[in-house]
Amino acid sequence: MAMRELVSGGAACAVPGSSSSSNPLGALASVLIGSSSKTKERLQEIPTATATPPDGNFHASAEEPFAAALPGFEDEYSLHPNAQVSEFLGGFRPMDQSRFSDAWNDIQRPQIPHYQGRPGPSNFPLEQSRLQQDFDGPPQKVLSNFLHSFLHSGHGSMPFRPASLPVLGLSESDKQCIRDRSSIMARHLFADKSEDFIHTQVNALLSSLDIDNDIRARGPVPGRYPELEEYWNESQSMKPWSGGADGWVSEFAQQRVPRDDPNMWVQSFERQHGANGWASEFEHEHSQLASMDQMRATGVPNLAAMEQTRMLAHTLAQNNDPKFQNSKFLQFLSKMSRGEITVEDNQFKPAAISAPGDWAAEYEQQYSGGRSWADQFANEQLSQGPHGWANEFAAERGKHGLAGDEWVDEFSKLNVNDWSEEFERQVADGVLGDSSADNWANAYDDYLNEQAVLKQKSDSSRGVYVFSDLNPYVGRPNPLKEGQELFRKGLLSEAVLALEAEVLKNPDNAEGWRLLGIAHAENDDDQQAIAAMMRAHEVDPTNLEVLLALGVSHTNELEQAAALKYLYSWLRHHPKYGAIAPPDQPENLYYADVARLYNDAAKLSPDDADVHIVLGVLYNLSREYDRAIESFQTALKLKPRDYSLWNKLGATQANSVQSADAISAYQQALDLKPNYVRAWANMGISYANQGMYEDSIRYYVRALAMNPKADNAWQYLRISLSCASRNDMLEACDSRNLDILQKEFPL
Amino acid sequence: MAGATQLKSDALMEQMKLHMSTDAGKQLTKKIALVYQINIAPKKIGFNEKSFVVDLKKGEVKEGAYEDGKPDATFSFTDDDFVKVASGKMNPQIAFMRGAMKIKGSISAAQKFTPDIFPKPSKM
Repeated sequence: MAMRELVSGGAACAVPGSSSSSNPLGALASVLIGSSSKTKERLQEIPTATATPPDGNFHASAEEPFAAALPGFEDEYSLHPNAQVSEFLGGFRPMDQSRFSDAWNDIQRPQIPHYQGRPGPSNFPLEQSRLQQDFDGPPQKVLSNFLHSFLHSGHGSMPFRPASLPVLGLSESDKQCIRDRSSIMARHLFADKSEDFIHTQVNALLSSLDIDNDIRARGPVPGRYPELEEYWNESQSMKPWSGGADGWVSEFAQQRVPRDDPNMWVQSFERQHGANGWASEFEHEHSQLASMDQMRATGVPNLAAMEQTRMLAHTLAQNNDPKFQNSKFLQFLSKMSRGEITVEDNQFKPAAISAPGDWAAEYEQQYSGGRSWADQFANEQLSQGPHGWANEFAAERGKHGLAGDEWVDEFSKLNVNDWSEEFERQVADGVLGDSSADNWANAYDDYLNEQAVLKQKSDSSRGVYVFSDLNPYVGRPNPLKEGQELFRKGLLSEAVLALEAEVLKNPDNAEGWRLLGIAHAENDDDQQAIAAMMRAHEVDPTNLEVLLALGVSHTNELEQAAALKYLYSWLRHHPKYGAIAPPDQPENLYYADVARLYNDAAKLSPDDADVHIVLGVLYNLSREYDRAIESFQTALKLKPRDYSLWNKLGATQANSVQSADAISAYQQALDLKPNYVRAWANMGISYANQGMYEDSIRYYVRALAMNPKADNAWQYLRISLSCASRNDMLEACDSRNLDILQKEFPL
Repeated sequence: MAGATQLKSDALMEQMKLHMSTDAGKQLTKKIALVYQINIAPKKIGFNEKSFVVDLKKGEVKEGAYEDGKPDATFSFTDDDFVKVASGKMNPQIAFMRGAMKIKGSISAAQKFTPDIFPKPSKM
């Protein structure tokens, strides 16, 4: 029974200086038991529907095991990692343990009849009044009685009234001990009450005792991060996959070895703390059922994940940066740690009560034959009734010996691959740098935004064309003509609108779709370009310009197979070269075959610029840049005023790190077509790749001023801004404020 | 080269290899001076992975696992996600949170793995 207390070590005892993250049993037990208290709360919240305001910060609650990480203990601990059990246990004892456990045991003793014999409520007023009178006397007695009355306040649903007490002379560690215990106990005592009620109760208690409820939030605890770093290093030096959890296991093993019989632990612990330690009394009643339910409902992996997030959330909560404290990220983790969000398939989802995630199921398959061990564990717990978890555990281990080890192993496997654990280390390390916590918080907010954007964009990424809202060209008599006109003038974004109006009016107008695709490509939006070209291709499957454009766009997107397919199609549907290609399109196109066919075509008519263009694209696919450049240069001799050809040459030169040449080719393109957004963006890329970030910024901004929808350019701009140490402009970039950017970076 | 088995990341790695010979690339070896191994899977992390070593100490990019000891950090991506991260479409921290990037090795080394290491592909 006291095993539970032993196991949750740092929390139950609230030893100043203990670190439960170094306590393998504690972490293990928290996964199995600790989470249950949270479930309980959730379950309670639903029916009563009391307004429980979402609490961004963490309730002082069962999470507190991880709060107990204070400097000092770790050092002491590391001095004798193989310490005797008594020393190990000694680590959990507060300095003034005797006085305190006395006080608490005093409190607990009268409770026993209540829990076992269920006395009628009539007892309470009597006891209550007796207690109220006992606030005089030696501090220890006063404290004992006072805490006693706090315990009783739960039974009568009566709010606990603050009382004025004589000065008790509590030390900081006393206070922390009381704070920890009361907040945890309150959750059990008032499990049927609302969160507010619990808070009020605890606050009343604490304020009476002159304890500051948020002492712990006052700042990160030094010594914590080195500890985590150490763990990280330790885990790195182990076998593959054997991350930190292996450390736990071995620590666990070390602690276990000195005493073969786990019952000895319990006994020796009881000798020190008394059999009726506070934890054991109510833990059984409240957490047993809850923990079993939870195990069945969510599956063990989710429990483990919740536990991980909880630790992680706690690590983050220790950071006292208010910005970070208020971040959505922290709230998110907090939710996750309470099981309100689960991870499935890399998507965060609100918890479905009974649906275990994919990986929960996977886990079941992997580890369960018939009954999963969680069930088994739960059932056995049931069958053995009120003797409590610890005895169960001990008995189980006694009976099965090896089996106990096995599940510890399995448990550790589970955690090792868990991202949150790695993440915690990341953060622990990152927090050393001032701003990285911010970065993480921002990253999460970005992530949320990104999710929102992705939702909108999921259509276009699936190759579906996304139309603009509020198109002024809709309803005009001849939008195609207007579109062509605007395109010729180089007003690409306007042309896009007009052409959209055209294809809305005539969805089968291949030319409308084609020109729309070209406009998007020149506007540096390949997703939309591909979507539009696909529509053109549907309407007119043999249009050579469409096929070439699709080949180029897919090449840009590094989609080899698709690009090859369209470029091959181009040849097959060409009136002159169609005969070269075998009539049946082979199932798997090989680059070499297609290239050979085009070389044949080039020999056939060396003056056809188009063949050289396609060859250039093909050589880009195979990254034979020198040949590609040669082909484009040949084509340019035949078609010197083709601005898109100049851009192709430039892009190829840039990709083969001939940036200086690339820039002069882009310049040619821009001379021919000043509003060629793609060439402006490519200029930026070339400067950035040469490390000339200031210059690249100017070109990106120029491109974006012409087409604010060019997402790639925004992303590149952001990178260049941070490389140029212009973090002051990142906000303008993130909010896409072109006015500021153009003023700051004129070209 | 068979069309279907090509990774998009191959193109980026090839470009990275070329990039290492430029002045900007040489700056990287001074600035970062770490060895990264990057495992790229066509569809699912851990399956059919192809390894690349981006050696920012010597300024080399090679196919295959690192053989001269341990890389400072090892990353695992799917092909698509690597392209997103290398091209700045996805921030590495977000990639990590989404489980799109797995990390082994030194965390301080991993934190220097940023999208600006990779040259950006230009578009035709």
